[in-house]
Amino acid sequence: MNLRIRLRPTRALQYLLMLGLLALNVLPLAWIAITSLKTDVEIVQYPPTILPAHVTLANFVELFTATLYGRYMLNSAFVATISTIVVVGLGMFAAYAFARFRFRLINVLGELSLFAYMVPSILLLVPLLRIMFVLQLDNNSWGLILIYSTLLLPFALWTLRSYFQGVAVELEEAAMVDGCTRFGAFLRVVVPQAVPGLIATAIFTFNASWSEFLFASTLLTSPDRLTISPGLLLLLPATGLIRWGLIMAAAIAMILPLLVLFIVGQRQLVETWGEGAVKG
Amino acid sequence: MSSLLGRAAPQRLRRKGISDRQLALLLVAPAGLLLMAFEFYPFFVAGYDSLFVTDQITNARTWAGLDNFRAILTSPETHDAFGRSLIFVIGCLLIQAPLGLITAMALNVGLRGQTLARGLSLLPYMVPAIVTALSFRFSLNGLYGVVDYLLVSLRIVHNPIFFLDDTHIALYSVIAISSWRHAPFFTIVLLARLQTLPRDQLEAARIDGATPLRAFRHITLPWLMPVLLVAMLLRTIWCGVEFDTPYLTTYGGPLNSTTVVPLAIYNLYADQHEFGQASALALCVGALLLVGSILYLRSYRRTEASETGF
Repeated sequence: MNLRIRLRPTRALQYLLMLGLLALNVLPLAWIAITSLKTDVEIVQYPPTILPAHVTLANFVELFTATLYGRYMLNSAFVATISTIVVVGLGMFAAYAFARFRFRLINVLGELSLFAYMVPSILLLVPLLRIMFVLQLDNNSWGLILIYSTLLLPFALWTLRSYFQGVAVELEEAAMVDGCTRFGAFLRVVVPQAVPGLIATAIFTFNASWSEFLFASTLLTSPDRLTISPGLLLLLPATGLIRWGLIMAAAIAMILPLLVLFIVGQRQLVETWGEGAVKG
Repeated sequence: MSSLLGRAAPQRLRRKGISDRQLALLLVAPAGLLLMAFEFYPFFVAGYDSLFVTDQITNARTWAGLDNFRAILTSPETHDAFGRSLIFVIGCLLIQAPLGLITAMALNVGLRGQTLARGLSLLPYMVPAIVTALSFRFSLNGLYGVVDYLLVSLRIVHNPIFFLDDTHIALYSVIAISSWRHAPFFTIVLLARLQTLPRDQLEAARIDGATPLRAFRHITLPWLMPVLLVAMLLRTIWCGVEFDTPYLTTYGGPLNSTTVVPLAIYNLYADQHEFGQASALALCVGALLLVGSILYLRSYRRTEASETGF
């Protein structure tokens, strides 16, 4: 009894701390959603209203009828889907080799891919754009897909590698005794065990290519090929009043698919990121 | 740990198909080729480009030797950009690491709704850079932004602060925005580590009458330390080369006050069309990163070694 009374204030403080931290994380997002439902007049009025006085979907209607935003979203969906398939597919095979085989060449490649994990986009910007120009893949979705597949591959390699290392080798051996080839054992026994890691990698890759800005804004030039990030920036007028309602509606439209993926894969993401991010 | 199936796999297990070595090479080849072509080869392109000056009108290239490097390393713009990047990196780490640590601790004490709270606390990490940047540009606006409204009406400040338009403040605002986005990285990593904290030690400390603070200092913190250090090193590197948040919130302005090194590279390329100088600066940053990566690799090997008992 005594113990309980003594613990209570601490608990209350802990709840308060948790709520404060959550507010810090969630309120900026809630503010986007609230603003997207307000009229232009209400948005710039001072003092600002906290909840919309008149809830309106006009911003969303305008977004998908009067701008090319729907097109940008389709373009991003295409680029992100193909990049995800390439990264998870190629990453899965290579990561298995890195996890199981100990040949010199494989080891060297494994180390190199760790370095690749640290290489930031901005350092590759100028040379990669030059290469894409030479290959005539500028202003082309496939150029962007090549870039994303490469840049996101190292993360997949390291996450999946540590996942495969956690799968018991005995299972593979049993399958091979039963007549599988090594590759067959990999597909039938190891891959199913690594599904959570594959899901997390896929979500991470999709998210990153859906949201990427730097290469999308420099490689693509014609408006009908733009992906979301540079497209969203185009909604800002060069001069004059910024239509915040329209922009916040666009932001919500951009986040929603990611939010769905995040909710679906939350457990796998937390486990895999937590384990994988700092130690391979 | 090294398995039966490694180099020493018994011959009879490989009844059909190709050898392990061939299989390994086949599995790695596509990914390896992609990385070679678009991740490593570009550094050679950059190295080559950095030795030439490209004429802005004719696009003709002339040999420049190390002139680009000399121009970059002696220009006051570069020095200023490195100074800002230093502030940016230190600021980001000073906010993100403690914030992530506090969040991870708060989400690990078994409160009600903890699972939901864990999910929500990771949300910012998922939000695209452009959305983060634009939404903060809106709410930090000095004219009708909600943050200034709250600060003024709660009488914390007298006059609205122009967070992103004041040259003395903009860099710190960008640091705060970037930290909002990236603190969850520490939360995720530290939460995972906390799951494996040896409970019996904490229990023993409690029975011995240690205060929670002492238990934290002598048991929890040392347990988190190796992971925390690696995470800090990674974030040091990533903050040092972060382009999206500073560019999308302020475009490097006002008056270049938020032009950190990655933006300086971008400006040399996109605004001044100095491909050679942009490549030279990128290579200099790359060299700095290489040192950081080697440190990371070492600590990585140490963690891996201690985990697997090699």
